[in-house]
Amino acid sequence: MAMFGSLRLFAKRLLITALVALPFAFGTARADEPLDLSAYDGKVVVLDFWASWCVPCRRSFPWMNDMQAKYGADGLVIIGVNMDAEAGDASKFLADFPANFKIIYDSDGELARQYDVVAMPSSYIIGRDGKQVARHLGFKVKKQDEYEALLREALAQ
Amino acid sequence: MKKLIMIRRALIAMLLISLAGCSSMGVEPWERDVLAKDEMQLIADPLEVAIDEHIYFSKEASSGGRGFGGGGCGCN
Amino acid sequence: MKRKNSKSVAATLTTATCALLGTTTTTPVNAQEEHAWEFDTALLYYGEGDSRVQDASVNLLAVRNFVDDRVLSLTLGVDSLTGATPIGAVPFDGPQTFTSPSGLRVKTRPANEIPLDDSFLDTRVAFSAGWQQPWGRLSSFNAGVSASKEYDYLHLGANFKLAHDFNKRNTTVSLGLAFSSDELDPVGGAPQALTSMLDVGDLSNRLGSQSKDVLDVVLGVSQIINRNLVVQLNYSYSSADGYLNDPYKIVSLVDPVSGDPVPRVPTPGVDGPSHEYLFEGRPDQRTKHSIYGQAKYYMNGKVLDASYRYMTDDWDVDSHTVDLRYRWPFSGQSYIEPHVRYYTQTHADFYRTSLDSSAPLPAYASADYRLGEFDAITVGVKYGRQLQSGNEWSARVEFYTSSGSVPADLLIGNQAGREIYPDLNAIIAQFSYSFGW
Repeated sequence: MAMFGSLRLFAKRLLITALVALPFAFGTARADEPLDLSAYDGKVVVLDFWASWCVPCRRSFPWMNDMQAKYGADGLVIIGVNMDAEAGDASKFLADFPANFKIIYDSDGELARQYDVVAMPSSYIIGRDGKQVARHLGFKVKKQDEYEALLREALAQ
Repeated sequence: MKKLIMIRRALIAMLLISLAGCSSMGVEPWERDVLAKDEMQLIADPLEVAIDEHIYFSKEASSGGRGFGGGGCGCN
Repeated sequence: MKRKNSKSVAATLTTATCALLGTTTTTPVNAQEEHAWEFDTALLYYGEGDSRVQDASVNLLAVRNFVDDRVLSLTLGVDSLTGATPIGAVPFDGPQTFTSPSGLRVKTRPANEIPLDDSFLDTRVAFSAGWQQPWGRLSSFNAGVSASKEYDYLHLGANFKLAHDFNKRNTTVSLGLAFSSDELDPVGGAPQALTSMLDVGDLSNRLGSQSKDVLDVVLGVSQIINRNLVVQLNYSYSSADGYLNDPYKIVSLVDPVSGDPVPRVPTPGVDGPSHEYLFEGRPDQRTKHSIYGQAKYYMNGKVLDASYRYMTDDWDVDSHTVDLRYRWPFSGQSYIEPHVRYYTQTHADFYRTSLDSSAPLPAYASADYRLGEFDAITVGVKYGRQLQSGNEWSARVEFYTSSGSVPADLLIGNQAGREIYPDLNAIIAQFSYSFGW
């Protein structure tokens, strides 16, 4: 159950991995349980921090759907971490830009702080051994191939 | 002369604010939902601002001075 | 439809203003259809009381969003201007006759009224284009051009801006530059400063077309204070060189005791001015400094927008502008926004109501009320509504009123008992419609 150094304290809590939210779930703001990546040991995890008010996120969702479909069999797991203060806003976004990948909620920013998110959106690629291998800040349509190359590199491990 | 001294002081204040004073102020990148709203942009209605600027430029001795950008969602 | 990239667009519209990248969005009423083009249109009416200036205009702003935060903005405006404006002569208890700017005819103005020149009938077309793109992850670059044309005036301009974000994009610093090269071709020719208004047909003191160049620099900092508050502070510098006179404005020569205009000896058989008038003359250089501060504060759906600007220049004009807007949404799709603006300025050091005919002429003199000392207040309200389609319309009505005061040392003789400074009362009415395509 390898985690990168800063998550060791975290791992001690040993709580079950976050809920998988259905795209049409409604409800008041909530934050999931601390994220336990041990469930994804051996897989490449992409943690993508997004919010309903973030316009580049509208362009990243179709691309992430493509990536999940293309590389899911190779062990890619994309987890979208929603940062909206109100989950209702996230639901409205997901109604227009459906996600074929896991969505978890971090309205209090705990997970974002942990990962030191400095831009919206932000994507963190966590390798099969649980160590963070790359991140990209923002989402640029022109850099899609570059992002995909980083995924392939991580999946090749 | 006194006016120019005031201007100089204001400029120095601006420089200090931008270089040092602000590293502790602000919000996290994911806390910009309100700031991303159209009505919270520093110039929310550019056409109206341009129209007003033209009216007041024709009737008064001052013009311009106002803004540009910052704030907003800070995405990408 | 919510306006995106409103900040990027501001660059093309305001002199030397800077627009920072920051795609903005809210969740619209309906499906989040992203439009390639966004249009803002506005119909404007501006009308002053007492048969003075009236202006009607159509304005269009088109924004094209390209992938990865690159934006093209285009504006087009057509203004139709009519009406009269104070010519600069002092009123007295007799009629006055003036030669028209073209030198082709004379016009007589009644006694005891501030003389107006009603030769205004003009159409102005203005155009601008601007491009914005990111430069690295945290910076952006803007470039734009502008042009406008009316029958006696041509403006050409270019502007540039660089902006950089730091502190996790909580702080933005930007530097903008705008260059303007204008050409004036006044009716009848630009008059030589401080020379007399002559008889009909006499254009001997007229010069050819004139030019004016302006450089504007804006340095700004904006800072996010908290989740609901953003503030901005700008310093602007402006330097204008060239022909800065208003070619149609005059200054009366008056008797040092009575303050009444000095009558002119008419040329036999020719129409001409009834009294002695000089065309105004301003310095050929003007440097302005401004400090501008703005805060936008969100309070549970309502937005307060407060700003202050201080301007000072080397013509000795100092001004303060305070502007307050309060946007109050209701019933989900509409809002009402009251607005108050207060403006005050001191007069230029060469501002005169008139010139003493017995004294030597000063280097510069202007009786243009816009260089005088006055206070102005604008009070208005705007109502806006978003439609099912996502498009939005709004309407605003404002009242602009200014009242001046002439310092006692500038009034001569009988002028003290007369209304010398032309106060202004105007109505501003605008209807806007925004849509995407």
